[in-house]
Amino acid sequence: MLEVRQLEARYGDLQVLRGVTLRVGEGEVVALFGPNGHGKSTLLKVLSGLHPPAAGKVGFNGQDITALPAHRIVELGIAYIPEERHLFRDLTVYENLNMGAYNMRARPKMASNLEFVFSIFPRLAERRDQMCSTLSGGESRMVAIARGLMSEPALLLVDEPSIGLSPGLRSAVFEAIGQINREKGITILIVEQEIRHALKLAGRIYMFKKGQVLFERPADEVDVAEIEKAYF
Amino acid sequence: MANLINAIVSGLIAGSLYAAMALGLTIIYGVSRVFNFGHGIVALLGAYIAWLFLGQMTGGLLAGTLVSLVAMFLFGLLVYRFTINPLLKKPGWETSTVLFLLGAGILLENVLLQVFGPRVKSIPSFLPGGLRLGAVQVNWHELSLVVIVLAAIAALNAFFKRTRTGQAMRSVAQSIPGAQVVGIDIDRIYGLTFGLAFAVTGFSGILLGTKYYLNPHIGWEWMVKGFVIVSFGGLGSTSGAIYAAVILGVVEAIAVLYLSAIWVWPIWFVLFMVLLLLRPQGILGGRL
Amino acid sequence: MQATKVLSWKSALMGLALLFLLAYPWLGASSYLKHLFILFFIWSVVAANWNLLMGYAGITSLGNIGFLAIGGYTSGILAKSFGLSPWVTIPIGGLAASLLVTLFLGLPALRLSGIYIALLSLIFADSLPSLLTQTRGITGGAMGLHEIPGFLPGMEKVHAYYISLAFFLAIQYILYRTVRSSTGLAFVALRDSEHLATTLGVNRFKERLKVFALSSFLTGVAGGVYVHSLGDISPTTLGIEPFLLGIAMMELGGIGTFAGPILGSAVIVFGNEFLRLAGTLRLALLGALICGIILFFPGGIMQLVERVEKWLRRRFNKLPPPSPGSRSHS
Repeated sequence: MLEVRQLEARYGDLQVLRGVTLRVGEGEVVALFGPNGHGKSTLLKVLSGLHPPAAGKVGFNGQDITALPAHRIVELGIAYIPEERHLFRDLTVYENLNMGAYNMRARPKMASNLEFVFSIFPRLAERRDQMCSTLSGGESRMVAIARGLMSEPALLLVDEPSIGLSPGLRSAVFEAIGQINREKGITILIVEQEIRHALKLAGRIYMFKKGQVLFERPADEVDVAEIEKAYF
Repeated sequence: MANLINAIVSGLIAGSLYAAMALGLTIIYGVSRVFNFGHGIVALLGAYIAWLFLGQMTGGLLAGTLVSLVAMFLFGLLVYRFTINPLLKKPGWETSTVLFLLGAGILLENVLLQVFGPRVKSIPSFLPGGLRLGAVQVNWHELSLVVIVLAAIAALNAFFKRTRTGQAMRSVAQSIPGAQVVGIDIDRIYGLTFGLAFAVTGFSGILLGTKYYLNPHIGWEWMVKGFVIVSFGGLGSTSGAIYAAVILGVVEAIAVLYLSAIWVWPIWFVLFMVLLLLRPQGILGGRL
Repeated sequence: MQATKVLSWKSALMGLALLFLLAYPWLGASSYLKHLFILFFIWSVVAANWNLLMGYAGITSLGNIGFLAIGGYTSGILAKSFGLSPWVTIPIGGLAASLLVTLFLGLPALRLSGIYIALLSLIFADSLPSLLTQTRGITGGAMGLHEIPGFLPGMEKVHAYYISLAFFLAIQYILYRTVRSSTGLAFVALRDSEHLATTLGVNRFKERLKVFALSSFLTGVAGGVYVHSLGDISPTTLGIEPFLLGIAMMELGGIGTFAGPILGSAVIVFGNEFLRLAGTLRLALLGALICGIILFFPGGIMQLVERVEKWLRRRFNKLPPPSPGSRSHS
């Protein structure tokens, strides 16, 4: 579904991505592990069109999406859930979800997507008409993921969804992501530091370091200790 | 006492006109963070276009207003597409857009001067007669202006709350990355915002033109008042701009009553300086 | 080797220009041309200080002509009404400008974001004319101040020429040293990356106040030089035309460069004659010029000079153009 070949990216003169090659197959849950500051978030930003690539190619379902702007990529079916969330703080939960369904493909599916989103995040249904600026950290995380779902994506790029959350909420978030994959068949590429949980969710993992893929493994052939070791 | 009440009423009316005028400024800033230093001239241009239909061309004020709205909308789109957009892509855009719009405003002002001449123009009021409520004197025309402004504000509100594009504009105003991840074409929204704001501003110019004399220099005066109003109300907040405009309109009228008219300008300046020194984010910061 | 070659090319040019300026009156310049040169000396100082604020420190300031006016009016009034010598009143004028600006613009600028500073500075400069009209008695109101005493009794144009040239050289030298000093670096650091600058220990507040205080002082001094060289000042100096001219000088020359404002003001001052020919279209042309430069030539003349320099270097030295890291960013 997603083919990334020798992708490079820069911030000014600083080379952040040094030729990333990976792929994500339809229906998979693929986890991306690696130390902070080595380019994992940048990779997702480039894939979602928020940051320009310097070189390389990105293909989605056979189509070259390398230089496409963010809104076109959303239209094609890729949704990005940034770690910073970037919610519309002065709008309510419902209004944020409504905006999530902005693209043309998502509009007719809005009602059913809303129902699904409220079923996996019941907390949000209670807080429908609450301003996002008043939500707790976990709740705003849920809104961010839910808003991404409203865009009727085929592929979800999730950046550290559990960061800063309490253990209970963390499990809930991972549970929800699992549900999204199982019930909706949405493909997931997830960047995480929470190795244990992500490993349980994922079918395949990539180890990412210094702007490149270090190695790739099926999730059941690797354990937490091995990955943690690779961080150093 | 009667004088004071009349002054307040007069101030409320002027304030509502100022509110209409300030809206365009705050809409552009709210969505794109570009401050239109040519704002006054945009209002004037809108008024002049409508004025053309009073004499040179047939159709009268209504036709003139419609043409003005469409023309100003297109003008806003073009200005964004060909001048602001390229500037936004380069670093230092905060300064370059300010200087560019200033220069463009002066250019346009003088072009208008050449084309329309320095003599004042005015758009006639559309309803004769007035109303007397005790000691207060109001004319129908001015009341109708207030009604029109209220209707325009309600329409804008509905636009921002109910239409897809309006909601997109609000979203962009709040978070650009957020807007990007939900699939909003930021560039397109910026263009539409400029178009909308120019149309609204031009429309306010027409309204102002029925009450005040039009000449190219009055654009500058409107603009400075607009600046004070939107700063007062909180940059980017439409409700803030409306409240600020009304308050400042009343203050201005009362000041003119008790001091002479030459003190109007200094009062605006003093208010502005005090405001910025005490509470730069505006008294009434809110959302678009 | 190449670097020194380029350096001496530029300094040779500067040396020649300096010699020319020094000798010019003896080469038989008319009174009118001397007048233009005096204007150039003064305006280039205004533009250079404006550029210090906008180009180097990255602060959008629209009120710099006001600094000139405060300095000029203060010096002129003190000299005319109290008989003080211009050599005393000019620095006082500079101090007055510096004080007022630091108080009303510099301090608020510490807490305000860019656009508010721009607005405040615009309103600041815009309110000065009405202030002048209200204080008609001292300032001459709309008529302005006239017959302001010169630097010397019985001063002639040529004296004014050399004195303003001296001020020009002194102030440009001060600015040159400032830009190259750690203060100058601090300004640029705050402009380009405030976050990084503050982590490196640059005190944002101190540097902001410094740049306002310095640029307004020097511009105020230029105002003093203005009134004592030319003898008159009026609220028209605070009008839209001088304002646009000032902006045009910076943009044309190249904002953020050192030589830019000087070159730009030379072009504008001497080219103003052509503008005058345009009559009522003057302002429209100025506006169009500013818009055109910002859109198509944002780096101004200096950008052109750099391009030509690069092309020449490649053409005649057959060496690869210098790598991006080896040249300092201007």
